[in-house]
Amino acid sequence: MDLIFSRLTMTGASAMLLVALAMMWRRHVPAYISAFRLQSAALAFVGAVVAWFGDVPELFLVAALILALKGWIVPRILTRMEARRPDARALQPLVNTEMSLLISGALAVAAYELSRPVAEVVNLPTRGGLPLALALIMVSLFVVVSRRQAIAQIVGFLMLENGIALLALLGAYGVPLVVELGVFLDVLLGVLVMQALVPRMESTVAR
Amino acid sequence: MAALLLAAAELVLLMALAPGVVGYTRWVKARLQGRRGAGVLQPYRELRKTFGKSMVIADSASWIFHLAPWVVTASTVAAAALVPVVSVHQPADQLGDLFALMALLILGTVFLALGGLDPGTAFGGMGSSREMTVAALTEPTLAIAVLALALTSGSTSLGAIAGTVLANPANAIGPGHALAFAAFLIAMLAETGRLPIDNPATHLELTMIHEAMILEYSGPYLALLEWAAATKLTLLLVLAANMFAPWGIATAIEPGAVARSVGVILAKLLVLATLLAVLETRVAKLRLFRVPELLAVSFTLALLAATSSFFSR
Amino acid sequence: MSAAGIDAILIAALLAPPLASAVVAAAARRRPAAGAWFNAAAMGITLLAAAVIALRVVSGRGPVVAGTLWRLDALSALLALLVSVVATLAAWLGPGLERGGPGAETTAFRVYANLFACMMLLAVSTGNLGVMWVAIEATTVTSALLIPVRRTPAAIDASWKYLLIGSVGIALAFAGTVLAFVDYASSGGELELALQWTTLRAAAPALHPEVVQLAFVFLLVGFGTKAGLAPMHTWLPDAHSEAPAPLSAMMSGVLLAVALYAVARWKVIVDVAIGSAFTDTMLVVVGAATVAVGAASLLSQTQYKRVLAFSSIEHMGLACMALGLGPLGAFAALLHLVGHGLAKSVAFLLSGRIYQRYGSADIGAVSGLISAAPGTAILFAAAVLALAGLPPFGLFLSEILILQAAWAAGHVWLTVLVLVLMLLAFAALTTQLQRMLLGRAPAERGAGESPRAPLTVLAVPMVLLASIGVVMPAPLYDLLTRAAEVLRP
Repeated sequence: MDLIFSRLTMTGASAMLLVALAMMWRRHVPAYISAFRLQSAALAFVGAVVAWFGDVPELFLVAALILALKGWIVPRILTRMEARRPDARALQPLVNTEMSLLISGALAVAAYELSRPVAEVVNLPTRGGLPLALALIMVSLFVVVSRRQAIAQIVGFLMLENGIALLALLGAYGVPLVVELGVFLDVLLGVLVMQALVPRMESTVAR
Repeated sequence: MAALLLAAAELVLLMALAPGVVGYTRWVKARLQGRRGAGVLQPYRELRKTFGKSMVIADSASWIFHLAPWVVTASTVAAAALVPVVSVHQPADQLGDLFALMALLILGTVFLALGGLDPGTAFGGMGSSREMTVAALTEPTLAIAVLALALTSGSTSLGAIAGTVLANPANAIGPGHALAFAAFLIAMLAETGRLPIDNPATHLELTMIHEAMILEYSGPYLALLEWAAATKLTLLLVLAANMFAPWGIATAIEPGAVARSVGVILAKLLVLATLLAVLETRVAKLRLFRVPELLAVSFTLALLAATSSFFSR
Repeated sequence: MSAAGIDAILIAALLAPPLASAVVAAAARRRPAAGAWFNAAAMGITLLAAAVIALRVVSGRGPVVAGTLWRLDALSALLALLVSVVATLAAWLGPGLERGGPGAETTAFRVYANLFACMMLLAVSTGNLGVMWVAIEATTVTSALLIPVRRTPAAIDASWKYLLIGSVGIALAFAGTVLAFVDYASSGGELELALQWTTLRAAAPALHPEVVQLAFVFLLVGFGTKAGLAPMHTWLPDAHSEAPAPLSAMMSGVLLAVALYAVARWKVIVDVAIGSAFTDTMLVVVGAATVAVGAASLLSQTQYKRVLAFSSIEHMGLACMALGLGPLGAFAALLHLVGHGLAKSVAFLLSGRIYQRYGSADIGAVSGLISAAPGTAILFAAAVLALAGLPPFGLFLSEILILQAAWAAGHVWLTVLVLVLMLLAFAALTTQLQRMLLGRAPAERGAGESPRAPLTVLAVPMVLLASIGVVMPAPLYDLLTRAAEVLRP
């Protein structure tokens, strides 16, 4: 039972990291958005798995919220932003794709090393995925730093949030519900403000 | 003795199946594209015909040009002998393992590139240079991807890896396994010159990689190279099937188990070749400068797979 | 009435007025002046509540507590008081109260600035580290909305930069929070109260040292981004200089302090778990680097609000460093935060007046301030000289204490380095100041001050700051001492 639990969460977590890495290879904003949508669905899957096997019913609510907010509403907002963008040229990241991928690989390896004490501390069946969560956090951070286009940066930031949510799910079956809800509210507000800001910014500044 | 016989039989089976796998893939692709397509046996006919033709050899070609097809074929056959096809008991394990397999594949690639360079024609040289660009990234990726599996099983012997995965099926849905498989798949497409890296059906020299290298070859040499290429594809497909999903492979050498195993591997090949054909119909060829980027993806995945296996041992 | 009931009422009186002001301002969109006046009056209640809470804490009857969510010990009370003072100043001097009728930006300012103030008060008055994180994250959104009220390209860009870097940084702080939570949860603690500061502090000895270290690195980077610590400070000069003056005052005067407060809260827990050597080293290194960046950038600035912004970076660096210098350092750090909050908010509020008079943000365009507007000039000079660390202001005292703490901790080179950097900052600030004060005033702008009321208001914090440097008021001294004790592991 624990083995299946552990494997299912690992699969979900690796899918999330895989999506983030595959995204680096893509060059257009819509691909970034759909990558984020996919990743959020995987996160919701992990949430539901933890809720079921870990016997934490309120995580079903969290999983549903993730799916609704990050899997549906936020991608829609981003898609609408992208549709309003005047020129949809390919992204030109500060770091080229090969280098990006190699750096991400190195970051992920570092994440494995860094997360060793964490994996030692945690004695839940989900602990195997912890390095993946930390790797996702570091890779997303790199996405934010290395992309120049605003929507790509937002996607990187949102993936960072996904990585942290994954860390909380795998490490402790989620944080207290008050905090969880606060995080959701903040993410939604943040994205709303960003989407209000970006079109004005791009009409005034050549980005 | 039985093991040795079985290994020889496996090699013969692999070599014999190879043109059929290519023919089947082409046929499925044709059907998917709405054409009737040549029969599955067409590559066998082509091989027979090409073997019977006389050769035209460039004046500027040296002995390397003559040596290359033989080395390519020999190394591919040797590599094929190392791969467990129907049984995890490989007598060849005593001769070579994962690293030997990679070395043999690289040997073949290098000589193929030399053969392309030797006559000094423009397209051959171009193809060779491209091939080396790709190979420099794919070979390590393949090696690291299989190494990720080797780390979990604690052995570089291919048979032992398959055996370990069989014994612990739960490992097969871990991140190490999944990432390694993804990496292996991409690298395999590059290594065997399939879409989206190289188009095996192209007639446009400017976009060729593999085909450009063998433009100068004709007659029996061409037949050898074609057969070697088909064998390499089949070999890698079998490797993918038996390393990542070895279910159905015989663990004991007895007629019943082996017979069932032959059936299973044929079915797996059928599935994989169909998937390959579907993929090739769905994707467009990448622009050449994006190829290294895709290969960097697979390299990173392989690296992660190895890391994850290393840390979760 | 029971003590618990009074506590609950006090906390409500602290938090409700800004929230109510935001609601009223949004509801009275048609009559912005009404919203502004309501806000100005309501903030008086918050200020009063903060003062009463501080006095209650000083009287030695323990922290002011309500439920599990609210808990104000001396440290919280100090920060709550500081936030209330600056938010009140901003509310009294913000747009909407001028004689010529309210401007177009009034409603937006009154809604978001009050939400912003409310979130800062929430962050310092909660006893739950998760809620504290949520509140600090919310400050980013509420303040970022206000930066581009003028809708200039530079303001929009600054706002975007602030929002993105701030959000990412604060997300990293959340990662640190989660790591600590995971560690706590794995040691078998009660999950319901897991992120309570007191619970976590009590359970800290059982935490895994390496995990706690990793968590603290994330927390320092995360909250340090919001506090403007180098090298995550890049958003700060743009955001603080492009924001409207009252908002700059709140962001620079107290938001940075609140972010540093979050670092200090976590430092205590980490110190209990693994001893203070690790956090001290990190804070001193990051702090010294920040002071260097801030001080070195001061002289090359050409806009007065950017000068003030870089001075904020320098002062945050000093406070961060001081937090890593033992008990005396902690006292000095808190005193420094108070002094900086008062002086910087006065300076930023006056920068709005200077901008109105000269119509330019460039130092080169401002000359003869002393002859054209002597009241503004004297107060501005006092604030900038206080920031430069000149006696008799409180910042002189705290800077001396910081040097003393560094020396006492055995960091000889650090003491010398910081002293040099302080002198550099002093030289840069006074040079920039004299460029603005002296010279010939442009005749077409006229002379004289109007309105005068804001100057009277702004003189109060400056007098307070001067008195801190001369004879510190006993209640403030008690509060600072008790707050520094909270920081002792």
